[in-house]
Order: sequence, then C-alpha cells, then structure tokens
Amino acid sequence: MARERNPIQVIYLAERICGICSFSHIVAFVRAVEDAAKIEVPIRAQYIRSLVLELERIHSHILWAGVACYTFGYDSAFNLGMLLREKVMDVLEALTGNRVNYGVGTVGGVRRDLTPKAAAVVREMIAFYRREFETFLDVVTEDPIAKARMRNVGVLSPEDAVTYCALGPTARGSGLRVDLRHTSPYEAYGDLGVKPVVPQDYTGEVYGDVYDRFLVRVMEVIQSLDLLEKIVDGIPEGPITWEPKLPKVLASLKAADGTGWGIIEAPRGDDTHIVKLTKGEDNLTWWKVRAPTYSNAVSWPLMFMNQEIADAPLIINSIDPCISCMERILVSDEKIGRSEIVTKAQMMEKCREKTRRLMGA
Amino acid sequence: MTCRPEYVKECKCPDEVMNCIRETLGESLLDIELRERWDGCPRRVLYRDIWVRFERGAYLSLVDRLRTIDFLHFHVMSGNDDGDVVTLNVHCSLFREAGEGHRIGITLSVPIPKNDLSIASLGSRIPGTEFSEREMREMLGIHFEGLVNTNLVFLPEDWDEEIKPWRRDETGPSPENIRELS
Amino acid sequence: MKMTRVLEILPKSLWVFHCNSGSCNGCDIEIVATITPRYDIERFGMKLVGSPRHADALLVTGPVTKYMTDRLRRIYAQVPDPKVVIVVGNCGASGDVFFKSYSLDGPVDNIIPVDVYVHGCPPRPEAIIEGAAKAVLLLEKKREELLKAGASR
Repeated sequence: MARERNPIQVIYLAERICGICSFSHIVAFVRAVEDAAKIEVPIRAQYIRSLVLELERIHSHILWAGVACYTFGYDSAFNLGMLLREKVMDVLEALTGNRVNYGVGTVGGVRRDLTPKAAAVVREMIAFYRREFETFLDVVTEDPIAKARMRNVGVLSPEDAVTYCALGPTARGSGLRVDLRHTSPYEAYGDLGVKPVVPQDYTGEVYGDVYDRFLVRVMEVIQSLDLLEKIVDGIPEGPITWEPKLPKVLASLKAADGTGWGIIEAPRGDDTHIVKLTKGEDNLTWWKVRAPTYSNAVSWPLMFMNQEIADAPLIINSIDPCISCMERILVSDEKIGRSEIVTKAQMMEKCREKTRRLMGA
Repeated sequence: MTCRPEYVKECKCPDEVMNCIRETLGESLLDIELRERWDGCPRRVLYRDIWVRFERGAYLSLVDRLRTIDFLHFHVMSGNDDGDVVTLNVHCSLFREAGEGHRIGITLSVPIPKNDLSIASLGSRIPGTEFSEREMREMLGIHFEGLVNTNLVFLPEDWDEEIKPWRRDETGPSPENIRELS
Repeated sequence: MKMTRVLEILPKSLWVFHCNSGSCNGCDIEIVATITPRYDIERFGMKLVGSPRHADALLVTGPVTKYMTDRLRRIYAQVPDPKVVIVVGNCGASGDVFFKSYSLDGPVDNIIPVDVYVHGCPPRPEAIIEGAAKAVLLLEKKREELLKAGASR
C-alpha cells in the first residue's frame, strides 16, 4: 500500500496501524524518515512529541488495567478504570482536537504547539490523577481475589523473556530493566531521566506473572505523571517544525536517499519502523513495521504451559495484545487424545467462574 | 527466582563493536556505517545504530560472534526485492539492559541471489525470530534452512502461496490482486 | 411457534454483536468508551453480546481483510431476522486510507448489506450512540414489515 504514497501521506496510514498507540507509530515512522533523510528536529517539537507519547501511555495502560479486571469478572474496577481514563482523553482532545488518531506528528516536527492554556489543562490532569488514581490502585492491587487470580499465573521467567525477545511491560514484568526511554533515549527522554519500572523495586521479588505485569503498568502510569510534569515545566521555546512549508519538506524527502530506522518505546513495548527512501522518487521504496505484540506473542506458548484454561484469557490479555481476532482456541489433551474448540464466550465464562469459585472459598 | 540473568558481560563502546564486526567478517564485509543521533536539550549522543552489509556466507559466524558480546536482542526482519537479489535486513540490538544510553542498534543486511533464495535459520540461536522468518517466507519467498513451522502468519489460509506480496517481479501481486478502491 | 409470535417477542433493548473485520482498534476503543460510565449506552438497555445468535444488530468496524470476508458473511448469516448492520468508521464505509492493498475485500457493503453508516476516524461516542438510535428505528420498521408478511401468509 505504502509504495504508492509519499512519506507525508504515509503518516496518516501509520497512524491507523493501531488506534490505541497511534502516536507511537507516527513517531517511530517519522523518526525513521528523519534518519533516512538526515533531518534535525527542533527541541520544542521533541518535547511535544514526548508529551503526547506519555499521555498516550497513560490512556493505554489504564485501558489495559481495566480490561484485565474485566477479564476475571471484576466489572466495577473495569468501569472505574474507564471512568478515570476519560480524563486523559479530554486532555488529548483539548491538546490535539481528537480523542483517537491525533494527527499531531509530521516529518521534522509536530503540527500543533503546546499553548499555555493546554499546559494548564495537562497540569490540572496531573493533579487529578495524583488524587484519584490511588483508589484504583488500592481496589485492585490490595484485593485478595484479584491477587489470587493474577499471582503465579502465566509465568515468564527472565531467561525466557530474554531469549524469546519479550518487550516493554512484558519483559519488565519478568524483571528485566529494559526500556528504550532509558537505554536509547529518544526525543526529550534523555533530559528526563527515565528509570525502567520493574516489580522487584516495589515488592522486592520477581515472579514474572500477570500480577507483576499489572504492577509494572500501573506504576508506569504514576511514572508518566512525573515525566509529564517535567516536560511541561522544562519545555524550551523555539520553532515546532524543521520546515513549515510542506512542498519544501516533500522536495527534500524526494532528494533524500537511504534507509532509516526508528525505534521507540510504545505502551506495549518497542515499536520498530524501517523506511527506505530512494533519490528521485516521491514515494517510499519500502516500509516495514513491527508492532510490539508481534514479538510478545512468540512467548505466549511458554506462559500457557501448565495453566488452566480458565486463565487463558487473562494470560492473553497480560501482554496487552493489539489484535482482536483471538476468538477461539484449540484445546488438545494429548494424554487422552481429545481435542475441542472452546469459544471466546465459553472461555470468558470459565475465567469468570474461577473468580466466583475463589470468592466462595 | 533470580533477579535477571547476567547476559551483559561488559559494555563495549560502538567502536569496539565495529572492530569486532570487521574482524569477524574480513573479506565478506561490504559496507559498515555508524549513525548517531543528538536528542534532547543538552545535545548528547544517546542513540546509536550500526548498519552492516555483508555476504551471506558469514551470516551465522557474525551472529555467533555478536552473541558472545551480549545476547543479541532481535527486533524484526525486513526485506526488499532489489532486482537480481533480495536483501534481507535483520534488525537487532546489543546492551539493551546495560543502562542509560548504552543500547546499540545493529542492522545486518544480507543480499541473497534470487536463483538460490535461502539462508540459515536463527531459530536455534534466537527463538524469538520464528514469526519473522515465517513472515519473510510468505512475503518474499526466502527459504530458511532449519525453520520447522512454515504456516502462514499474516496471509489468509486460502492464500495462493505462489504470490509473494512484497516481490516486484512476476511472483508479486498482479494488478487484479490489488484493491484500488478509488 | 407461529411466525407472528416470534416477532412479537422482539420489542426489547438492542443487543449488539461487535465484529472487528481488520480495524485499527480506534473505533473499537470508542465503542468501549460508549458502553462505559461516561457515555453509558447501557442505560438504554443496549449491550454487547458474545454471540451473533443473540444479537439484533451487527456492528462492524474495519475495512474487511481477505481473512475476514468469509467469517463476516457467516456471522451475518447467524444473526436472526430482523437485523440491522451498523458500520462504524470511515474504513468500513469506504476503505479510507487502506486503498491499494493486496489483502482487502472491503468495504463492508461489498460483502453484506449495510443499514447505518457512522462516519469518522474514529467517530466520537456521541456519533455511535446516534447510529445506534437510528438502528433501533430501522429495526422497528423491519420488524413491522416482517410481521405484515408473516400475517398475510
């Protein structure tokens, strides 16, 4: 598809790879283009990119935490999470005009500036979450049933996380200190001093289970709040694009020749885009996207080992997959030579039943 | 349970890694480049990529050599049909747990001639490459020696396997396979 | 049971089955936003169900990839009459940015008949609620038509 479009047109296609981490895909893509065409981005634009990336991380992580609760039948926590999430959606709307697919990034900078008014909205949001997010944290992490459903479920050992190339919160949940914002700081992250969030810093030990992945995500929301505060306080003045005139940008991209690699830490893990530009051609020569789920899905079979079917939906959800077609699984029991298809609805029912069983016990 | 495996033996600077690559490849090396990016307010180099292009014969020995430095974390494979050859790019990184600004991205790019479109599989060395190798097989028709599971990943199950979507020659999708829409 | 009896049972809340035919998730999270407390479409009795056999309306997002074409047809066939199909998002309505793809069969109205289109990329939850409201009216009309046809038989 992208072979017949120019880089600016592809931005809007990249945005629609995923509706949840849309801005991560844009940033990874434009960084790849900038790498290929050797374009320097103004610092203010880098800060605004980091700002929107962090907002996106907050909304994605809260959504995930809510859905995880929903999976094991904790509907009130799901609704509480979704209610909290609307706040950051409001801020994104105030900042960019859209709730999803913001259309903020462009090659060489960003398209919308951070006005003092928008900065005030962000500050207000930070205060709101510092006040309210604690409740959500308490009702889930302190809840014995929730803990029983997530502890020792879907374990991925650190060794396997390394060899199966797990990414993002999935790897950090297994105790690896990997975070591209830390080991390969891009945009403004070099100034912000991001430390990877790992469970051993909070609970003292690593299980590598669903609970740890949950903990990593909710702690990252809190971390993102701190980062947002630093960004809003420290944002320098200056231009927001390298070249505001679009025809000029396109002309210089047409003259560029080379392969570029953009890699950033999206909410689910690192997001990789590779772009090839050829001199004299308007359009991209080729473009490769690797969304984080693609790498994380490889480690599913390990997490499923010796687990109950009732836990399967939770394990699938625990890497925060970006796919919506996991509707049924094939269950095979080699000992008795039997296999049956379990539909998603049955699976969810089993998952919720287990919670009821635990509550009764 | 242990905190984390000690894969990072010692962190090397990009020059050392590049020398190590040059040494291993010898005659097979076609091209090597280090790219650095300055980001943030005090403009510091915290983001480095190495791009290596070399001949197919040295593929496994280079991967093995890099694996002695640190576990070679695998990101993705990409590829392109360049006329007589199909270029396979393997994107990986070293030192991804080594602390601030230490990660080095490495792209191994290998031209494979179309009349013998095969290369060794990395599956036994880096299990995480399975999906990517299957994808490259279905999209570009590269044969990986040692890849057990050759089911389709992205294409629908009734896909005509003669058609390789990313190819630009006669095995690529013909105009009637493309949905124009506008 | 007589045809007329079955149709009389219908006047109830709208139950919706959501089918993602290769969408980017943007519409899907807006649908989730629609059923959660801020917009709370469940106060009108509408809810998402787990099987197309329980549904009155089929909600489709995405431009329909080749993989999903047949599955979408099968899901459509499983929804009992009277039924309405709601397409949420531009890509389901026209293909939007996904033109010139080798693995696309869409847009949705290429595969199954569509009653209500909700535009936007993604549409706001308010727009989705409006689309659902239109679907209820259409469903009511279809039910009456079926009743008439059944009564005259």
